[in-house]
Amino acid sequence: MRILIAEDDPISCRILTANLTKWGHEVVVTRNGHDAWQALHVQNAPSLAILDRVMPDVDGIEICRQLREEKTDSPIHVILLTSLNRREDLLEGLEAGADDYLTKPLDAHELRARLQAAGRILELQESLRQRVRELEAAIAERKIAEEALRNLSLTDQLTGLYNYRGFINLAEHHAKTARRSKHRSLLIYADMDGLKEINDRLGHRAGSTAIAAVGEILRNTFRECDIIARLGGDEFAVLVTNMQEPETAKVLERLRRNVHAYNEASNHEFTIALSIGAVEIDHEHAWSIEDQMARADEVMYREKREKKGHEKAQEAQGKGP
Amino acid sequence: MTLTHTETQAVDLAVLATYDDAQIEGEPDFVVELLDIYLNEVPRLFDSIRKAITNNEGITAKRAAHSLRGSSGNLGVLQMATIAGELEHLENNSGASATELLMSLENEFERVKEILNAERQRRSP
Repeated sequence: MRILIAEDDPISCRILTANLTKWGHEVVVTRNGHDAWQALHVQNAPSLAILDRVMPDVDGIEICRQLREEKTDSPIHVILLTSLNRREDLLEGLEAGADDYLTKPLDAHELRARLQAAGRILELQESLRQRVRELEAAIAERKIAEEALRNLSLTDQLTGLYNYRGFINLAEHHAKTARRSKHRSLLIYADMDGLKEINDRLGHRAGSTAIAAVGEILRNTFRECDIIARLGGDEFAVLVTNMQEPETAKVLERLRRNVHAYNEASNHEFTIALSIGAVEIDHEHAWSIEDQMARADEVMYREKREKKGHEKAQEAQGKGP
Repeated sequence: MTLTHTETQAVDLAVLATYDDAQIEGEPDFVVELLDIYLNEVPRLFDSIRKAITNNEGITAKRAAHSLRGSSGNLGVLQMATIAGELEHLENNSGASATELLMSLENEFERVKEILNAERQRRSP
C-alpha cells in the first residue's frame, strides 16, 4: 500500500517508517498537517493516512474533519495516532471521521494488524467502486440501445399506428410494388384542429387522449391493408391502397361520419376536428411519397385556411345587428 | 510537591529491543539510529522549554514537553516520560513548578545518557 505519515515527532516517525517499509509498504513522510494535506491531494495520492493527533500547525483531527467534508468516491482511510490515551480524545477523533486509532508508544504488532484491517476495507471499497463503474457503464449502454431502438421503431407509442419512419418505409415500398398496377391509391393528410386548446384548457393528458382517439377513429375508418400513421404531434396520414374508382368521396365521407359519431358520443370533454387534405395517386407514373405528401399537405392547409375564414365570417355574422 | 521518580526504572531496554524487528538486514543498526535521534532531540527540547519558561510562553513549553514525553515513551525512557508528562499537564506550563520539573528532567537525562550510550556502544562498538 501507499501510506502517508504525518508525524512531527522524529522518533515516532522513524519507527513508523522503518516498520512500514519493512512490511513492503511505500511510505510518504510529512512532518506537519499542511504538508500532509498537500500530499493527500496530489494525483495518485496514498489511500491510507496515519496522522498524528497533535501537530504544531494543523492537527490530525482537523485534517480528518476536512477530509470527510470532501465529496469523493474514494475516501482516504485515516488512522489517528495519539499518545493521549484518553477516551474523550479517542471519541473526538472517531467523530471527526477517523477510521481507526493507535496509541503511542506504538505496538508494531498492533500497527500491523490494523493495517491489514485497513487493507481489507480499502480493497472492498475498490471492488465496490469497480462494481459501480461497471453498473454505470451498463446503464449508459442500455440507454444508448434504447435510444437506438426508438429510432429503429416503426410504430407510434401513443396510438399504436405507424410513426413517420414506418409510414415512409411502407409507403415507399407500396409505391414500388404498385407501379403499373391498375389500382389507384389515396393519400390523406389529416391535421387535428385545436389540439393546443385542448392541451391548454384540459391538460396534456386530455391532449394525449384526443390524439389516441383520432388514432382509433382512423383505424375504424380504414382497412387493415391501408397504411395509417401518426407522423408526429397532431399530424396523421393514411395511404389508402388498391382503390376501386372513384371512391375518394366515399372514403372521406366515412371518415367525417366517424369523427362526428365520436363527438356525438358526448362523454368526451373535448371535440375532435380534422383538417384533411387528400390526393389521388395513379400508378402509371413513378411517384415519390415525399412529393405526394407535399401535395396532400398543401390541400389540407388550403382546407384549414378556408375553415378559419369561414369561422371568422360566422363570428362576424353572429356579432352583426 | 512530592516527587517519587527515583522508584521508576530509568530505561526499559526491553522496549528498545522490540525495534530490532524493524531492522533491515545489511542496514546500520536501527536502534542505534533511534538513540542518536533521541540524544540529539532531547537537548533541543530542553532549550525550547527553558526559553518558553523565560518568555512565559506556556503553550510552547507544553508542546515541547509533549514531544519529550512521546519520544521518551517510545524508547522506554520511562522516568523522563513521566516527568515530561507532569510538565505537559501543569496548569501553568511556564511557572515555578515548570522550572522545577525541567531541572528534574535535566538531572534524569544525565542518568539516561549513560545508560543509552552504553547500549549504543554495545550495539555498535
